[in-house]
Amino acid sequence: MKRLHFDYTMQIHYSEPVSTCHYTIKCIPPDTDRQRLEKTEITLSAKEDPGRSRDSFGNQILYGRVEGDHTDFSFHIAGDVSVNRTACESKGKEAMLGLFRYPHGLAVPGEELAAYYRTLKLTGSAYEKGAALMHRLYQDYAYEKNVTDIHTTAEEAWRLGRGVCQDYAHIMIALARLEGIPARYVCGMLVGEGYSHAWAELLCENGWYAFDPTNNLVVTDSHIKLGVGRDAGDCEINRGVMHGGGIQTQQISVSVTEKG
Amino acid sequence: MGIISVEQTVRLLWLGRYTERVYTTLRLYYSSYDTMIDEGKNEGENAYARFCQMIDIPDIYGSKEVFKEKYPFDEENPDSIFSNLNRAYDNAIMLREEIGSEALSYIQLAIYAMNKAKISRAPFIELQRVMDNILAFWGIADDNIDSEQTRNIIKTGKRIERLDLYARLGVGRKELYREICRLEPRVARSGIRYDAEKIKYMKELVEKPEIDYYKVVHEAETIL
Amino acid sequence: MYNYELLEHTDTVNELLARYGVKFGIYKNNTFKEQLFPFDAIPRIIEKQEFAGLEAGLKQRVQALNLFLRDIYSDKKIVKDGVVPEDFIFASSGYMAECEGVIPPKEVCSHISGIDLVQGKDRQWYVLEDNLRVPSGASYPMIAREMCRRSSPSTFENTLLEDNRNYAQLLRRTMDYVNTGGHTVILTPGRYNAAYFEHSYLAEKTGAHLVSGAELKVKEDKLYYVGYDGRLERIGAVYRRISDEYLDPMNFNPESVIGIPHIYDVFRKGNVALINAPGNGVADDKGIYYFVPKMIRYYLDEEPILQNAPTYLPFYKKDMQYVRENFDRLVLKDVAEAGGYGVVFGEKMSKGQKEEFIRLLKREPRRFIAQEVIDFLDIDILDGKQTVPRKADLRAFVLMADEPLVWKSGLTRFSRNPDSFIVNSSQGGGFKDTWVLSQ
Repeated sequence: MKRLHFDYTMQIHYSEPVSTCHYTIKCIPPDTDRQRLEKTEITLSAKEDPGRSRDSFGNQILYGRVEGDHTDFSFHIAGDVSVNRTACESKGKEAMLGLFRYPHGLAVPGEELAAYYRTLKLTGSAYEKGAALMHRLYQDYAYEKNVTDIHTTAEEAWRLGRGVCQDYAHIMIALARLEGIPARYVCGMLVGEGYSHAWAELLCENGWYAFDPTNNLVVTDSHIKLGVGRDAGDCEINRGVMHGGGIQTQQISVSVTEKG
Repeated sequence: MGIISVEQTVRLLWLGRYTERVYTTLRLYYSSYDTMIDEGKNEGENAYARFCQMIDIPDIYGSKEVFKEKYPFDEENPDSIFSNLNRAYDNAIMLREEIGSEALSYIQLAIYAMNKAKISRAPFIELQRVMDNILAFWGIADDNIDSEQTRNIIKTGKRIERLDLYARLGVGRKELYREICRLEPRVARSGIRYDAEKIKYMKELVEKPEIDYYKVVHEAETIL
Repeated sequence: MYNYELLEHTDTVNELLARYGVKFGIYKNNTFKEQLFPFDAIPRIIEKQEFAGLEAGLKQRVQALNLFLRDIYSDKKIVKDGVVPEDFIFASSGYMAECEGVIPPKEVCSHISGIDLVQGKDRQWYVLEDNLRVPSGASYPMIAREMCRRSSPSTFENTLLEDNRNYAQLLRRTMDYVNTGGHTVILTPGRYNAAYFEHSYLAEKTGAHLVSGAELKVKEDKLYYVGYDGRLERIGAVYRRISDEYLDPMNFNPESVIGIPHIYDVFRKGNVALINAPGNGVADDKGIYYFVPKMIRYYLDEEPILQNAPTYLPFYKKDMQYVRENFDRLVLKDVAEAGGYGVVFGEKMSKGQKEEFIRLLKREPRRFIAQEVIDFLDIDILDGKQTVPRKADLRAFVLMADEPLVWKSGLTRFSRNPDSFIVNSSQGGGFKDTWVLSQ
């Protein structure tokens, strides 16, 4: 077991005043079979305390509105999480599993991804197939920043041949579902990385196994999970709707360190 | 519900303003049109240009024939009577449950009458119906709307518009003074925040030997 | 059987409807136009006994559909028990993951259901479509009845029929039943919506306030109406006439400017009723339609009283075979389309078109349903002084309050075009009052 300390800060600056803004933040690590949240500290630039809720995937939500002209919005969430080397997470509610079997949102395969899938000829157990998928993807897809964005679909990212962790995860999910393996998208953080991270979980024999295709590794105790869903859209870390604001600039800093 | 939103307040006010604008400009158009019938018999008359000047709208018409058609009926022209009636309808249609279907129907009937007047060779007969319907609307609004606040907001709009138009027209001191006095209790009972000082100031302006009509217009427009 | 004097007053009734602004909006070449909804004075008359049968069937159907919706967004027993394949849930465009685990107040999902029926030449009624999202149309027969009574009182003096102007009371009762405390409002996307007349008329008749999204706000997990001076009034029920997608930019489409940010979060906490509940699209999908009789057996353990039109799902091999062999007598419908769009008749296709369509069917078997073409019982409409037979359907309204309530009337829509089967108001056509006899 490791104890990890995390720190997530987002700062948004608007070139013109915003009169009202609404926000939804999904950035609190859930308790799972693998991780336990030990303490958190949440600071928001909003005066009023946020409302708290959970979405249908169990992700925790902070939400609210900021009234009155403002040009900055920020939130900061920090805390400690203990992480086990547990192999997998339990299956969860049976009735929800179907959600992860069908193409959805950004993780919908097109012709080229389907053609690639046919070349894979996966064999063995679901776990073996998942591991093989991850290795192949790591080999056949290139990491490159700033060529895709948060709206890029699995098919588009695949055609491009390069992308970032979100694209790796979407492609892996789309392929796993083609193989008939339920797969879900995970948004989280990783020790030593300055950004949020994303990977995939596949439902193999007795539970959800987490694969990180960007790094070609099975997730153990260096990853902190923040949110889960069918694709990136289900677990976006923040959403804002505002009146006014002009041009916005956004700064995110993330750090995860191991505590002694 | 007992309270009324900003959006609803604005709609009620403008419903009052636009119905008044249609009513008063129609009355002026009547007398001006009557003069125009005789025009051409004597040289140098130009009733329509005087009319534009009087009600303070740009003269974009060029001739009395164009004016007679475009000023009342051209829906593309934002200053036309029809456009103002359409704006009244735009507000009224958003208020059915507040003012009631009966009251709303008179605005609708005014629109139908306006459409008939537009294609008529003797538009006065149908324009009279437009006026009748607006008067009926005011009657039913007064009689049938339960909420006193709602009634008073519509009337406040109507009174502001009347004062505004009369000041632009440069009517006599007595008439203008009377309109200020009629606005005063309405706006007080409307529940809307307003600047009571402006009522006082307008009264002072009207009592001066030379009335600065544009100042009165400005004060009326900014009272809320 | 009834006094035909009413028919002489068709024009008067239509004039009155115009006076009260009974219109619907349409977009033609990107500009908004308001059109009158032409009224035909010959009523559709349904005998007391016959309607009693429809009523029982409609109650049963809507109860089953409500149970289905509750089940789908929680345990999905009907899927687990193999009655409805998972494909028809998760691959349906109407399914909304956001509704998983969310329990609407009093567990009512479809408060107002519009069930479209047609009558065949054999006098048998068939359900064509269930509308469980934002069905519209009740206001038209309601106000038409009022105007008919004014235009021809004698027609109504000696006719024993159910008064359909009680729709507002039924609706009020339905809204009050699920209200979580506070006022009830009707939320409209605005006057440029096709059914804006209905929104405003139902607001007037039920005494609910008509509001736009900008007049409401969320504060501390509750929903409020914002007064001119900043005062707040709690809202306990929203009869929303805007679609799920646009309801809440923070939970659904972020581009929506007509919705209310976080209203869905309030709903999730049980602090406001949304009428109808979000996510109902999964149950009025044309693919799911096929399963409604099975649902009735599954949830209620009863035999369905109302018939579906005979329907085949190319998704099943056996049905695909049938569709290919009988292509010419079938009508094919795209499950994702509505309003009369995406409907093609096998007999009207050329050989090449047929082959192409069958290829499409094989590629996307879940996308289409095939139905036998029903031999409609035409009903008479006035064409000048004459009567001519035309195709018509009936939209029945079922409201779910403390018990299911069937409105003793309905919207009868007809097609003006003698060859057309499509009766939607958005594609031309008019409407009739529906009389349910009380004796």
